[in-house]
Parts: sequence; C-alpha cells; structure tokens
Amino acid sequence: MTRPTPKEIKAMADVAGIAVDAEAATRIANSIGPAFEGFAPVAGTLPFDLEPATFLLIQSAKVSK
Amino acid sequence: MSTEPALLSLTAVAQAIAQKRLSSREVTQSCLDRIAAWQPRLNAFMAIEAEAALAAADAADAALSKGKPRGPLHGVPLAHKDMYYDAGHVVTCGSNIRRDFVATTTSTALQRLKDAGTVRLGTLQMVEFAYGPTGHNSHYGAVHNPFALDHITGGSSSGSGSAVAARLTFAALGSDTGGSIRMPAHFCGVTGLKTTYGRISRAGAMPLSQSLDTVGPLARTSEDCALLIGLMAGTDPADPTAIAGPVPDYTAATRQSIEGLTIGVPTAFYVDDLDAEVARILDETLAVLKREGAHVVPVELPDQRQLTAACQLVLAVEAAAYHKRWLIERPADYGPQVLMRLQNGLAIPGVSYLEAMRWRGPALAAFNAAVADVDAVIAPVAPVPAPTIAESDVGNSPDAESVIQRLTRFTRPINYLGLPSLAIPAGFTSGGLPVGMQLIGRSFDEAMLLRIGAAFQRATDFHDRVPQ
Repeated sequence: MTRPTPKEIKAMADVAGIAVDAEAATRIANSIGPAFEGFAPVAGTLPFDLEPATFLLIQSAKVSK
Repeated sequence: MSTEPALLSLTAVAQAIAQKRLSSREVTQSCLDRIAAWQPRLNAFMAIEAEAALAAADAADAALSKGKPRGPLHGVPLAHKDMYYDAGHVVTCGSNIRRDFVATTTSTALQRLKDAGTVRLGTLQMVEFAYGPTGHNSHYGAVHNPFALDHITGGSSSGSGSAVAARLTFAALGSDTGGSIRMPAHFCGVTGLKTTYGRISRAGAMPLSQSLDTVGPLARTSEDCALLIGLMAGTDPADPTAIAGPVPDYTAATRQSIEGLTIGVPTAFYVDDLDAEVARILDETLAVLKREGAHVVPVELPDQRQLTAACQLVLAVEAAAYHKRWLIERPADYGPQVLMRLQNGLAIPGVSYLEAMRWRGPALAAFNAAVADVDAVIAPVAPVPAPTIAESDVGNSPDAESVIQRLTRFTRPINYLGLPSLAIPAGFTSGGLPVGMQLIGRSFDEAMLLRIGAAFQRATDFHDRVPQ
C-alpha cells in the first residue's frame, strides 16, 4: 500500500466529481500519505472471510478481567 | 468560600434546586452574569439566550412550587455544542454553510436532558463541522482557554471545554470522533467522557463519521458525567447503532473505592515523546492511584500507530462522503483547513477504506487480549499542554496535518476501537496550564472509568480550580 501521488489524487477527485487543482492535490498527498504508510502493515493481509461487522460481535462479547 | 451558584457542580446545583435551597432563576442568573463577564474574552458561546433562559427558569420554579419537578436536572441551566438539533432553533455546526439552518427535529441526547428538566442557556462554539482538534474556527473566531487566554481550548468541542472550565454552564454536550471531547477536557481542565460507540444515540447530532462519532458530556466531575450518561444512554428507535439493554447505575459506581483495582500503564506509544510536565503529571497521577489502593502495572499494547492510521482512513472517507454535495456546490464556504481535510477523503480508494473497517474487529480483539489483566488503562490525552492560539493556527499550510496528528495521536486509536475513555484533570504545568489524563476501559464499561475518576477526584482538587 503506497501513498497516492498528486497526479493520482487529481484523477480520483475528478472521478468523484470534485475538481482539485495541482496545489490542492499536492497538499492532500502530503496530508493523507502518513495514513497510508501507517496502515501498510495491515493492508492486504486480512483473511478472506473477515466481515466489517465482526467489530460489533467483538464489541458486544462479554469481556472481564 | 464563594456562594456564587454557578460555581457549584452539576450534581450539587441540581440537589440545591430540588431542595429549594436555590431557585432556578438564581442559578440561571448566576450563569448569565458569568457569561456576560467572560464571553468577551473567551468567545465560548455561539448564542446567548438570556431572556428565554430566565423565562424557562421561572417556569421551572413555578412547576417546582406546585410539586411538579420534571426530572433529576429540574431547572438546571445548560448549553451545548452547537451541533445538537433542537427543533425550531438555529444549529450552525460551527459553519458558514449552516449559519441559518433551523432544525426540525431534536436530538435524542438533548431531548433526554430536556426531559430531565434542563433550561436552555444558548449554544456553544465549536470547530467547523467538528473537524479539527485545536478550537480554531475561521468563521466565528478562535475560542480561548480560560486558564490562559492566548492558548487554545482544544477541539472540536471548544466552547464546551471553555464554558465548563469558566463555570458558564454546569456541563455541556460534546462529541468525540477523534478526540473532540477529551482534547478540550485536557486543555481546559475539565472532566470529559467519550462514551463507547453505541452507548448514546447519535440521532439528531450532526454527523461527521458514522463509524466513529460518539456523544458525551464535559462537566466538572466524574460524578457529574455519571449523572449525564445515565440520563442519555440507552436504546433509541431513531438510531439503530444505539445498543439495547439495561443502563448501569453510573452514579453508584462513582461511590465505590478503587482498592484492589488494577490499572495498566502502556509501555510504549502513549509514553513516548511526552512533554516533560505531562510526563511528570502522569507519574504524579499514578502515585495518587496507588495511594488510593489501586495496583499500577505495565501493559504492552498492540501497535497503536496502525490504529491511528486506520482511524484517519475511516474518518477522512466518511466525512468526505457526508460533505460531498457541499464540496461540489459550495467549496468556498468552508474554512481552508476543513476544506483541505474533507478533500483528503477523496484520495482514499474504496478498498483501503473497507480494509480499515474490516480490521476493526481483530484490532479490538487484540486490544482486549492485551488488557485482559487490568481494569483500565491510563495514558495522557495528548503529549503536550495547550499550545498558543498563534502557534497552532496552521490553516491549510503544509504543516497542518502533522500538527493535527501530533495533537490527536493518543485519542484516535480509542475512537477506532470504539472504546470508552474518561479524561480527568490531573495537574497543572508550572505555567498554569491544565493537563489531563485519560482512563481507557472495556466496551460499555464506562462505570469502571467513572469509578476510578471519582476516586481520583476525591483525592485531588485539580477539578475544583476555577480560572480567574
């Protein structure tokens, strides 16, 4: 998982229907880049059957010391 | 000792009104007097509704004289973050876009407090659309810290932190998506409860991120927070994420000792790169907890940096999705920093967002396993005390996101995991700035945090200090 480049960001924003100029795209790339890098160890490693709703199951499971 | 009613705690003033030792009018007037004195310096209020508040106070007094109290907060004047819909009232959400928006419904949390008998004082300032941790607002101006006027309050519940600290309201609703209750609690020296995701209905509260948003109070004490969460928690047909089941007796929990409890101190991340005074105050806090009978043990947590990153991915995408229409139609009506942060969400692929959502369950399970032997974890809310307004006014500069990330480093992992966290005033720097610590608990175990917080506040007086 690599951080998107300003050029890629501009293209993604265009697809979303929101125009961003080159300066904004650069700013976004710098701003969101660390999140991509921080999540990189997890990205692409999750098991096939894992549902987002697993969170609610874990949250509601009784946990005590 | 001052006899100014506004200086009482929420719990104490509610009892005083119920027992007719004070009238709602006396209490409301006391708050209004303080608001008149402090508002020019703090900018904590978005709207002050003095006449309506006094009329409501008179009605409350009349009802009480007829033996018809509405509830446990009968006649208590409160103001809240200006993002809770209140039918017929303007709710700006701290924005230019909603400057004239009049709500047609009332949020469940607010309605439950109204049903308990509260009087509306007005509304409190906030960061635009609750998207920022400093308290800056390019449309309505920065909110000022009552302990040091040139310093930030923290955000996004900036007015809530400032007004509660200055004793302008007895408590205030905030919201916490990435730290927005705990940051102002830390910077302003008040108690703030970020509730478990699903503990309090979000219906009628302005959304920022549906997977992370939580409703909670800022107040002077843990006891006050216990009273408020007890009134607001519980299932709600208008919000399917609000969990069913009984609501614990949180107030009873605050009366319990912490003798024999085990409190974990992280061995890494939350203790790294701390300001020297924050580190000192963490040590002093641990010493108090030990004196009160708790065991303090080291706890090794999973990599919190990954949680922070996952939180940022989820928040950015969900916020951008909520705002997409206005991003297309009215981009010029946003402040520069909020616009920049909303645009961040456009750069995150759907697959990355969903990976971050899918990882929440395993990440929470891993955290639960790591803290299996402790009753709660304690950590600083932020690595630093309140910076100045000038040095944190970074707008949409290249440094903006790194400044924001540094401030919210210790709060975001908790939002991603949906866990409860209680921020308590834990000390002051040599320069007089408040510093808070956060107690982090198991899902839906706010009672444990309030129990520890109340015991700490029985042993200390940081929460009693009034800014001059």
